[in-house]
Amino acid sequence: MATTISTTPVILQPPGPSTTEIEPDSETPSNPKQPQTQTPIKPDTPATATAVAIATPRPPDPPPSSDADIIHIPSYSRWFSWDNIHECEVRFLPEFFNSRSPSKNPKVYMHYRNSIVKQFREHQRQQPQAPSRKITFTDARKTLVGDVGSVRRVFDFLEAWGLINYSPSAQNKPLKWEDKDAKSSSSSSSQGAEAKAAAAAAAAAAAAAADSSAGPSKENSKVVCSGCKLVCSIACFACDKYDLTLCARCYVRGNYRVGVNSSDFRRVEISEDMKTDWTEKENLHLMEAILHYGDDWRRVAQHVGGRSEKECVAHFLKLPFGEEYLKHADSGEVDVKCNQMKDHVDAECRLESSGAPFPSKRLCLTPLADASNPIMAQAAFLSALAGVDVAEAAARAAVTSLSQVGLGANKEPQGSLAKITKLQEADVTPNGDTTGNASEGAFVEANSELQREELDVERGISRIAEVQMKEIQDKLVHFENLDMQMEKEWKQLEQMKNMLFVDQLTLLFHRRSAPKTDERMEQKSVRID
Amino acid sequence: MKAPALSFSKAPVKFRMPTSANLVPIRLDIEIDGQRFKDAFTWNPSDPDSEVVLFAKRTVKDLKLPPAFVTQIASSIQTQLAEFRSYEGQDMYSGEKIVPIKLDLRVNHTLIKDQFLWDMNNFESDPEEFARTFCKDLGIEDPEVGPAIAFAIREQLYEIATQSVASARESRISKKGRRGTEHATSSKSSGSALDLVKLFGYRSSVVRKRKDWDVYEPIVDHLSNEEVDALEAREDRNIR
Repeated sequence: MATTISTTPVILQPPGPSTTEIEPDSETPSNPKQPQTQTPIKPDTPATATAVAIATPRPPDPPPSSDADIIHIPSYSRWFSWDNIHECEVRFLPEFFNSRSPSKNPKVYMHYRNSIVKQFREHQRQQPQAPSRKITFTDARKTLVGDVGSVRRVFDFLEAWGLINYSPSAQNKPLKWEDKDAKSSSSSSSQGAEAKAAAAAAAAAAAAAADSSAGPSKENSKVVCSGCKLVCSIACFACDKYDLTLCARCYVRGNYRVGVNSSDFRRVEISEDMKTDWTEKENLHLMEAILHYGDDWRRVAQHVGGRSEKECVAHFLKLPFGEEYLKHADSGEVDVKCNQMKDHVDAECRLESSGAPFPSKRLCLTPLADASNPIMAQAAFLSALAGVDVAEAAARAAVTSLSQVGLGANKEPQGSLAKITKLQEADVTPNGDTTGNASEGAFVEANSELQREELDVERGISRIAEVQMKEIQDKLVHFENLDMQMEKEWKQLEQMKNMLFVDQLTLLFHRRSAPKTDERMEQKSVRID
Repeated sequence: MKAPALSFSKAPVKFRMPTSANLVPIRLDIEIDGQRFKDAFTWNPSDPDSEVVLFAKRTVKDLKLPPAFVTQIASSIQTQLAEFRSYEGQDMYSGEKIVPIKLDLRVNHTLIKDQFLWDMNNFESDPEEFARTFCKDLGIEDPEVGPAIAFAIREQLYEIATQSVASARESRISKKGRRGTEHATSSKSSGSALDLVKLFGYRSSVVRKRKDWDVYEPIVDHLSNEEVDALEAREDRNIR
């Protein structure tokens, strides 16, 4: 199942409960109408609960002139029909279908759903030119008999799937499924929904950052973020509509007002590093300082001299991976962090670039949605900072150098491990060679772990695939047997029919030729047999 | 033939709404800084408490109320839910109980007056269905009337149910046993329950007497704007 970022064309659907006609996925809206089909969820429409729907509604063609009579719904909701309940509805709203409470049954669900959709379409029809053609949950629940909790869930479901409150002219992205689950657990305000959508949009925005980052870069003036009131560095997101400037962190976290859309922001790079290139000497100082002080960026900055902490951090991250090595007392966890970051960035890049899914996708598919985990938040922040291209390049360099080092060191893992422990104990004087050796050791460890994990996962997947194949084979065999049995029985039946026919004929002839001679009878019977 | 099983009292049941769906009627009436928010809806008490806050926020956002309402709404809902839950473990008296339910409400432009009998022992009853049928039969087009009717019925049922819990408690305390419950029947709960002997005894008939027809007939009035304003003004004055 390829998890591509698919652009979903918008489906135009005329209103009316009984005659819902779904037009084919073509650009011209005036097509001969097709009879309504109950299309099951297609495998490429990412709508199953396990897959992730990263649906980016691209700006559709301008809607036709007779706007009031055409209803727009996104194509991943084309299963909707007035009279039937689809399996994804059963899955998302199980309370109506598990007969746990007598008043919640599929009929009630259909009634709620249909009345909400009808209400929305009525509303839309009455105000064709109104800027917001949405109905609120309160409108809906005021007119529905029943407990508000379930009405709210149906409403949320319909809204998430774009069946109500969906206006294709806006760039509003519907909520992703993880966002819907995460929403209940997030402690942010009700704008959490928008924030999540914004975060999800940020993923897509980052993916398409190639376009937006080509925008004008700011001057040397210090930019202060309007969200957290800190000086922005590296990159910021500017919204011209509302005159806001947010730092990357605030943007990712959705720390802006209600009503501001994530797509209103464009990415603006502030790269102060380019002003003054880092000389070799400074690089060396940086490396030494990091070796010594590890996470204490203040002292690192002091050691380097002439660079602020942030610049040091930023530059350090931008360096090719071969030098990204920390050997400190708590280097273990930092290593793990680095590895996870690399893993995540790596997988994220793979997701974006190749499209072939890496098995442990759950980490990466929502890189920006889950900000509760500090490591993930860091990773999200950094990837937003660094931009797609840089992150990709860094990850690639990381992978290549890792594999090179891994190849070299795999032959003698023990030796290098011993070296590492020795180095760990001794007081290392900053030296280019020792740094290289020790870093090799770390790379070896990390690399071997990585490879082990990869192998495990691959093995797991191949086993699963094998089991599935066996299942299918067994089924096939079973069906073949059944088939053969059926054939046999069919043949038997035919035979019996023939025999019966024969008997009938003989009987007839016997009767008719009773006066006739015996020979003729015999002849006839012989012939028939 | 003797009137069968009229004083037959079953074993007390655990408290619950005597309807097929165990939903709590919640009424909100909050005033902050001169802004008044009135609302009434049904809530499912088995929903997690996080839903309350979510609902409050959603409502405030939808109606564009000032955010101070969120905490008030949430706390009001939670108080009423807690009250409901406090009744929940206790026993409810459940003898014969047919109670009259009165409807007297105004929703937007529709005025509804009605009275009918409801069987408190029918735990499969459904006020929502009643409301739906009511609106359909009387051709009420305003979609907000149905929920209001269901809510009014539910509220009254809830009150009567809580009263029966109190009476069950009292009868237990008074330790009169059998006699106590019978006594309670005749005094407390039958204040609201009708005298069944008179109604359904073998000597009377089920057909209602003519003079009671007006009382039990539903009346639906469609008001004009001025009448609505006048009524609202009168209500406000009464409340003050």
